[in-house]
Amino acid sequence: MAKSYDYLFKLLLIGDSGVGKTCVLFRFSEDAFNNTFISTIGIDFKIRTIELDGKKIKLQIWDTAGQERFRTITTAYYRGAMGIMLVYDITNEKSFDNIKNWIRNIEENATTDVEKMLLGNKCDATEKRVVSKEKGEQLAVEYGIKFMETSAKDSINVETAFFSIARDIKAKTEKKLEASNPPKGPGGNKVDLKDTSRTKTNWLSRCSIL
Amino acid sequence: METKSKSMYDMSSSGTEIFTHGGVGYVPPSATKDDVQTCGTLSIVSYSFGKCIEWKPNDVSIETDGSEQEWAMVNTSKSPSASSSQGDANPQRWLSVRIPISEIKSYRVSNKKTKLLLVHKDRLTHTAFYFQFENADCFTKSLRSVVRTRRSRHDKHTYNIVQERVDPQMPHSFSDFNLLTDRKETVWKFVSDMRSKPYETTLSTFSKFSEYLLYKNPDERPSEEVARLFEGRPQQPQNPALDGSKSDGLSEYLIVERLKPRVLCPRGQPLSVTQWANAMDAEGRISDVKELKKIIFEGGVQDSIRYEVWKFLLGYFPWDSSTHERQELRQVKTEEYFRMKLQWKSMTPEQEARFSDFRDRKTLIEKDVNRTDRTLPFFEGDDNPNLGLLYDVLMTYVMYDFDLGYVQGMSDLLSPILSVMSNEVDAFWCFVGFMKRVFRNFDMDQSGMKKQLSQLHTLLSAVHPDLSHFLDEHDSGNMFFCFRWLLVWFKREFTHQEIMVLWEVMWTELPCSNFHLLVSVAILEREKDVLIENNYGFTEILKHVNDLSYKMNLHDVLATATAIFKQLESSPNLTVATRRVLGLSGGSSHNSSSSEDDSLSDGLACEMAALEKDCDQGDTTGVTPEK
Repeated sequence: MAKSYDYLFKLLLIGDSGVGKTCVLFRFSEDAFNNTFISTIGIDFKIRTIELDGKKIKLQIWDTAGQERFRTITTAYYRGAMGIMLVYDITNEKSFDNIKNWIRNIEENATTDVEKMLLGNKCDATEKRVVSKEKGEQLAVEYGIKFMETSAKDSINVETAFFSIARDIKAKTEKKLEASNPPKGPGGNKVDLKDTSRTKTNWLSRCSIL
Repeated sequence: METKSKSMYDMSSSGTEIFTHGGVGYVPPSATKDDVQTCGTLSIVSYSFGKCIEWKPNDVSIETDGSEQEWAMVNTSKSPSASSSQGDANPQRWLSVRIPISEIKSYRVSNKKTKLLLVHKDRLTHTAFYFQFENADCFTKSLRSVVRTRRSRHDKHTYNIVQERVDPQMPHSFSDFNLLTDRKETVWKFVSDMRSKPYETTLSTFSKFSEYLLYKNPDERPSEEVARLFEGRPQQPQNPALDGSKSDGLSEYLIVERLKPRVLCPRGQPLSVTQWANAMDAEGRISDVKELKKIIFEGGVQDSIRYEVWKFLLGYFPWDSSTHERQELRQVKTEEYFRMKLQWKSMTPEQEARFSDFRDRKTLIEKDVNRTDRTLPFFEGDDNPNLGLLYDVLMTYVMYDFDLGYVQGMSDLLSPILSVMSNEVDAFWCFVGFMKRVFRNFDMDQSGMKKQLSQLHTLLSAVHPDLSHFLDEHDSGNMFFCFRWLLVWFKREFTHQEIMVLWEVMWTELPCSNFHLLVSVAILEREKDVLIENNYGFTEILKHVNDLSYKMNLHDVLATATAIFKQLESSPNLTVATRRVLGLSGGSSHNSSSSEDDSLSDGLACEMAALEKDCDQGDTTGVTPEK
């Protein structure tokens, strides 16, 4: 089987319902925007392979239902995520306030060293803005994560954001590789590296109780 | 094989059956993956020359006295190739198998207790048997009553057979005291492991405890079930998988063996205007509801009368009401609707500002109305007035059931109803009727969804155990990938036109109230080969299932689902849990059975709980409805 990528990174989009997670993903994966989107039920993912420093990076980006009630299901898919995009809507204060809940949710369900990034979406809707850019930046500083304002509609910063998080994960991965050659490390985040035989992410097995 | 002269290979030698277990499949060692298994009974038989494990195919055991049978001696004193050559002889002609217990080195139970692998003393020959009901334990328990076993140090699923009665190092072994008749090796392992790796041992013991709850010993099942198992054997003399009609390997065999052959019934014609008119008497009452539902189940409803029929199917209009009574009812319900509508319509912005629970529901509805079925002509275009209707009905539903409020997915459930009714009052009350059936889908803790996913797993295990095991082994036993199907009743999987048919079919609650789960099984069945052959993992399974959207033929799916129900209904050996999901008699009559079922779903619930952790923090949309 021909090697189609050098790295496979699993990313996750989370945030309140209606902040535009699916649109951000659609912009990144199809470079398009559609006004007649439907709400996400359950979970889905899209793939886009990008190139960074001569390396092909396959991004598997998971899109989740935003409503709190569905977290039981969606958190089951957090495992193995290497990067998480926390998305809020700059025209919706509540979605911004809820970011701290989402961070907590990540801490409980995702790997500890997961790369995080804060996205303030719908930045094209300036007349409806209620969350200032400074507020977003401040929150990002507080959590020590990167921040960007995006617009899936006007294609602002979406590409940049995904490339940025991919670059960070790549750096982290390569650093880890160098530190432990041959790649090893129990408890460390497993990365599918230059794996020609298997294209699927081999997830941590189910919890031992079953 | 040349060994027939030996007494132990002589079929006519009579032995005493110590234990017999029906519904066990066997694949000859040489068989390829695609070879069809056949099913038979596995026994432990005591002969003058020693005890043997014997397997006989069902079709042979019926009419022969045994003396003419060909026996495949799986004998390790021969080279493995010699023993496996038996499998090549004639794949259609299933041989019996006899393995002297003295030839067995160890056994291993795997694939969720459905596979028993016997490793022979040469370590090269392996014989595998497949059990239907995840009950290989039942057999190994009997085996352990004949021989002493010890759990392998290298693999916790492997048990070595210790022929000697007493371990020379331990003349009076703990195990000799028979304190725990069937779990002594567990205790031993526990004692030694506890010392060397206390942490892992404690955890794994807990896990075993839950496993024990999940798969209770068959002898703790109701005696009727065990009796059925014995009486039911030999049950299926012919194996339709072998006549080439529709063979899909392992599964077909398993189904066929345990389940009756499947009969596909063609779908019917939709309920016509004339049929509908004729169903009503002079006063407009409908007496033969059963017949009407049957027609609807088989073929749906004609477009032109849908707006009328749905009101009955969804419980808005009682079937036995007269035309006059319905007019009165409609008037009352109209007033009631507008009273509730006024409650939210008259809310001032100041009130709203102090009423966050209301505000949250409203925001969610606003967001979802704008993205519900906007490609349907009924909702398409900017400023479409029907979006206002969708919004009003959902907002009024919030006042009708504030605790449930609005949960994503509900707009999907309302949209087809509203487009059929075109009238907000009728749509509202029909929606109320629909929600009465599915409100558990929107439980705060998602317990209703988890229960259904677990029930779906139960059904799938009954129909396609190989697929359910495949899913289990690929991190997908929780069936989460079917979440969207069940949450909104396949709304995202079929076209608008198809959804109307599917829903009216399911609203008849024929042949059982869990028909949506059979629809799911029917869809999964079609994808089974793709999933298994590609050896899809957790991620690919989800992707594959999500991508089925709008690619399925509803009529085929419905016909298959119906046929699966009939097949299961007529099969005598269903587990209590399966019968219960299907609402079949015997599914709820035993007290003892309920605990089995509960422990099954508890097992899944336990798994879910592990995933959930504390994700129920601070939900803003209200509390779980208790209805």
